[in-house]
Amino acid sequence: MTLVRLGAIAITIFLAAPLLVVVPMSFSTAPSLQFPPPGLWVGFYAKFFADPNWTGPLVNSIIIGIATAVLTMAVAVPASFALVRHRFPGRSAFNLLLMTPLIVPHIVMALGYYVYFGELRLLQSYLGVVLAHTCFSIPVAMLIITAALKGFDLSLERAAMSLGARPLTVFRLVTMPILAPAFVIAGLFAFVHSFDETVVSLFISGRDVATLPRQMFNSFRMEADPVISVASSLLFAAALAGVLVPAAVRSVRRTLDRRNSPLAS
Amino acid sequence: MTMSRKPRIKTGPILLGLPAGLFLLAFFLVPLGYVTVLSFSDPSWGIANYRELFNSRLFLMTLGNTFWMAAVVTGLSLLLAYPLAYVAATSKGTLGKTILMIVALSFWTSYLVRTYAWMVILGVQGPIPALVALFGHSPPPRLLFTSFAATLGMTHGLIPFMTMALFAVMKRIDPKLMDAAGSLGARPWRVFWHIYLPLSAPGIINGITLVFITCLGFYVMPVLLGSPREQTIAGLIGDRMEQILDFGGAAAMSLVLLAASLGLFSVYSRYFGMDRLWGGRI
Repeated sequence: MTLVRLGAIAITIFLAAPLLVVVPMSFSTAPSLQFPPPGLWVGFYAKFFADPNWTGPLVNSIIIGIATAVLTMAVAVPASFALVRHRFPGRSAFNLLLMTPLIVPHIVMALGYYVYFGELRLLQSYLGVVLAHTCFSIPVAMLIITAALKGFDLSLERAAMSLGARPLTVFRLVTMPILAPAFVIAGLFAFVHSFDETVVSLFISGRDVATLPRQMFNSFRMEADPVISVASSLLFAAALAGVLVPAAVRSVRRTLDRRNSPLAS
Repeated sequence: MTMSRKPRIKTGPILLGLPAGLFLLAFFLVPLGYVTVLSFSDPSWGIANYRELFNSRLFLMTLGNTFWMAAVVTGLSLLLAYPLAYVAATSKGTLGKTILMIVALSFWTSYLVRTYAWMVILGVQGPIPALVALFGHSPPPRLLFTSFAATLGMTHGLIPFMTMALFAVMKRIDPKLMDAAGSLGARPWRVFWHIYLPLSAPGIINGITLVFITCLGFYVMPVLLGSPREQTIAGLIGDRMEQILDFGGAAAMSLVLLAASLGLFSVYSRYFGMDRLWGGRI
């Protein structure tokens, strides 16, 4: 048993350790991939935020991510209701269609979009990238929303209706507030999925609407720009915040609950 | 309510599902159709692209290499993720929570960032070659841009994925079953072998299916960390598109890759039902 625990600790270190080199590298004075860094400064950060080749893609990725999240939610929420609350002919085929974007390799879709969007004149456009990213985000959002919908107590809606509320009022005042957290999480997943997507962006976003992953990928290939360490650190910091902040909020809330509960005294 | 009762066609679910269905039809299935048609039509109609592929040593070697690498990465990540998920699912203390936190952190960190980390660690001026040199191996062996680097990076990248698939099943295993077996005199390894392992099998199957399919189509890490001489199919497709502009050839390769991914997926759904693959949530 202790051997298993020791093994698990070692594997956890293997998982975490590589990530720890990222942030120190961004403060390095060396223009090469020298680790540990010979000296520390913030020059690469100044370069990152002064260079439109980096800030442009950062802004593009944020715009595309938000648009993808909005579009994804607009189609995934109704589809989730259809899947969870209704039985209809073709339901399992519909379910399959919604999930296959998770299985089809992105490089295959990159080729498809390259040719198809070429004909539709959507290459190197925001719209093209958003449409592609939405396809990949739909199944991710669906998994979260359908899970929440399954746990939803239908008697709450029935109670509201029996008190005379119209369907839209029921949705606005009962269904929506209960499902709101799941919607937020699903939207967030859609955003992150789009923000991290590399392969399709690489082939269809072009120079005009280059995303941050595209810029990073190309800069890895050139092996030239040390500013990549800043981009990596910012993304890592975002992931760290995404994991630590909810955990911190949960533990603070637990402490407060304990303090406020009548049993605590 | 003055509506006359007709035999009802359910319009509700159709209206709700229509936007998503039409969207995926127009922007997912149609581009896939383009790839399919392209593989038979570019530069001329027929199966020439496929004939060329299966006569090409490079393609067959790449195909073999891709499957081999996917198998190695899947095996390694199962081996490493299993104890991780086991401890996270069975221990209630800080260790379990720490493991889940690190797994989540790694999961949320972009593949590009993790690729960058491995480029630093395995690079000529990085700590691992320095360590190897310390033990008298000079000049230090070239680690970056080899299949080893790609395998290591992908394994590290997919352990969180595998851990989550295992954990989802393991946390539902009732610990009383193991206690019962133990109290009846079974030794720990027998308890594990006859009770825990079979009960966690659905998680193993989900994990290896997801990780293997992901590996088959993985582009970023094999291209950036791997050897240009031992590519994977995804890398080869990218090359065809970018460098030789051979879209027909790229499309034929894409269809082979697609057939492999969808084939594995359909075998899984045939035996276990597709909805369970992602934790049985739909």
